[in-house]
Amino acid sequence: MQSKASKAVIVIIGILIGLIFLVPIFWMLATSFKSDQEAFTAGLKWLPEVFTLENYQYAFQGDGETPVLAWMANSLFVGIAGTLIVLIVDTLAAYGLARLDVPFKKLFIGMFIGSLTIPWVITFLPLYMEFNTFGLLDTYAVLILPYSANAFGVFLLYQYFRGFPKELEEAAFLDGANKWQVFTKVVLPSARPVIWTLAIFTFMGIYNDFLWPLVTTNSPEMRTITTGIAIMQQGSFVSSPAKLMALTSIATIPAVLLFVIGQRSFIKGVTQSGIK
Amino acid sequence: MYKTSWKSKLTSSLFVLPYLILFTIFLFIPIIYGAWMSLHNWDLLNPVHEFVGLKNYMKIFDSSSYLNNLFFEGLKHTLLFVIFSVPLLVVVGLGLALLINSLPGRLKGIFRTMYFIPYSVSVSVVAIIWLWLLDTNSGLINQYLQVLHLPIIPWLTDLPWAWVSIVIATLWWTIGFNMVIFINALNDVSEELYEAGSLDGASRWQRLIYITLPSIKPTMLFVLITSTIASFNIYGQPYLMTRGGPGTETKVLLMNIVDEAFKQRQLGNAAAMSLMMALIMIVISVVQLRITNRKE
Repeated sequence: MQSKASKAVIVIIGILIGLIFLVPIFWMLATSFKSDQEAFTAGLKWLPEVFTLENYQYAFQGDGETPVLAWMANSLFVGIAGTLIVLIVDTLAAYGLARLDVPFKKLFIGMFIGSLTIPWVITFLPLYMEFNTFGLLDTYAVLILPYSANAFGVFLLYQYFRGFPKELEEAAFLDGANKWQVFTKVVLPSARPVIWTLAIFTFMGIYNDFLWPLVTTNSPEMRTITTGIAIMQQGSFVSSPAKLMALTSIATIPAVLLFVIGQRSFIKGVTQSGIK
Repeated sequence: MYKTSWKSKLTSSLFVLPYLILFTIFLFIPIIYGAWMSLHNWDLLNPVHEFVGLKNYMKIFDSSSYLNNLFFEGLKHTLLFVIFSVPLLVVVGLGLALLINSLPGRLKGIFRTMYFIPYSVSVSVVAIIWLWLLDTNSGLINQYLQVLHLPIIPWLTDLPWAWVSIVIATLWWTIGFNMVIFINALNDVSEELYEAGSLDGASRWQRLIYITLPSIKPTMLFVLITSTIASFNIYGQPYLMTRGGPGTETKVLLMNIVDEAFKQRQLGNAAAMSLMMALIMIVISVVQLRITNRKE
């Protein structure tokens, strides 16, 4: 039982904390509409004195220094392609291991689950050398393929398929369906929520990854949005806060919108994945 | 379910095959290959790699070698970040979840979204936003400190402030994720326990200590271990915010590994450092599991 007053206090605390999360984003947006000159001398003035779009014009046209649209396209493409590969191979493998007569099943399950305990840093440099040996650095392959080996999805789906009632599959087998048909017509549709969860986790992981795309790409047009911005921050935009803010705003707005729309599924996914 | 003829076994194997191939190429072989690299004098530009046995590891433990300094100084900085950040990531995440849970129903979703939004931006955006907020001369935070007649703070160029800044940016960025996990766990604590607690006259604080916390212990352990691993892998924040400075005071282990591999081009040394780092991470996770299980 809470009194009205204590409820009001909690809401006020909640709003104050909310400001901590939102003010930095608002300040970024505000700065992106100021000139670089004004940004340095703005002091506590939140809104731009002279509202300008020059930073955005510069980011989009520039002199080819900041191919923002290409970077965004790269990030989206790499994220979607990587996620699709993960979904396809992980659902297949997880179903095979959970239900089918795969030889050496126990060995595979042990190997895959065991690999989850291995820190990522172990494979970082040898993976780099692998791609280097085959001349695949600075390509989409190096930005997409390494994420496909993660066993998290196999583990997640394996657990789901194990708990899936066998009767539905058996009925389909009696009707003369083969394994592939049972998998695509009966099993996959039932697993849609788990698959969606895995898709969101995988996409966000690839989209936000930093170190791997940073060291494996070097031509400006192969950069992802995350690394592209970082390069500009360390390079020619180092003392142009307003231009940088325009760049980060361009990168942030679609991500935040997507996130606000998708967060319900994301949160549901956290629940379903059994992470608790 | 059906006969396990060799034909059936074959078609079943085809389900596992695609993942097995990717697993082998991009995980299994790299693990072996990495260990192999760490046993060689492996210059990125030199095609000949001389086998040196455990020499790279011995250099890490030989105090007269620069590798010793590189590894242990980096490790010290990474551990400092882990020690500063992990307790806050767990406690603040739980605090925010408790706060959201005590809000009126309709407001819960709005506040949860508000606190979770920074999680959607990437590390370079986080770094740039906070660099600008914390800028010594033009940053918003120091401007407000001046208005309040407080001394301005060299947020990024002095200790301990550089760590404070990195931890603040990290919390702002990732705390929403831990919060969501805690909210889910809190929703699963049975109402009956709380009702029984209320009947016994337990205060809010007592209910938190004796009912809530024990009920969500597995979640706390999960958040503790995942936050520790994530903090161990820190790279982007110091790389972009302080560039390892002041001096090399915030240069973390992963930054030193990357430098050794790509600036010095000594991949053998760097691979040995990676393996040592991974080993330390595994040991810490196991210790965390052991300690929390023993208390039970």
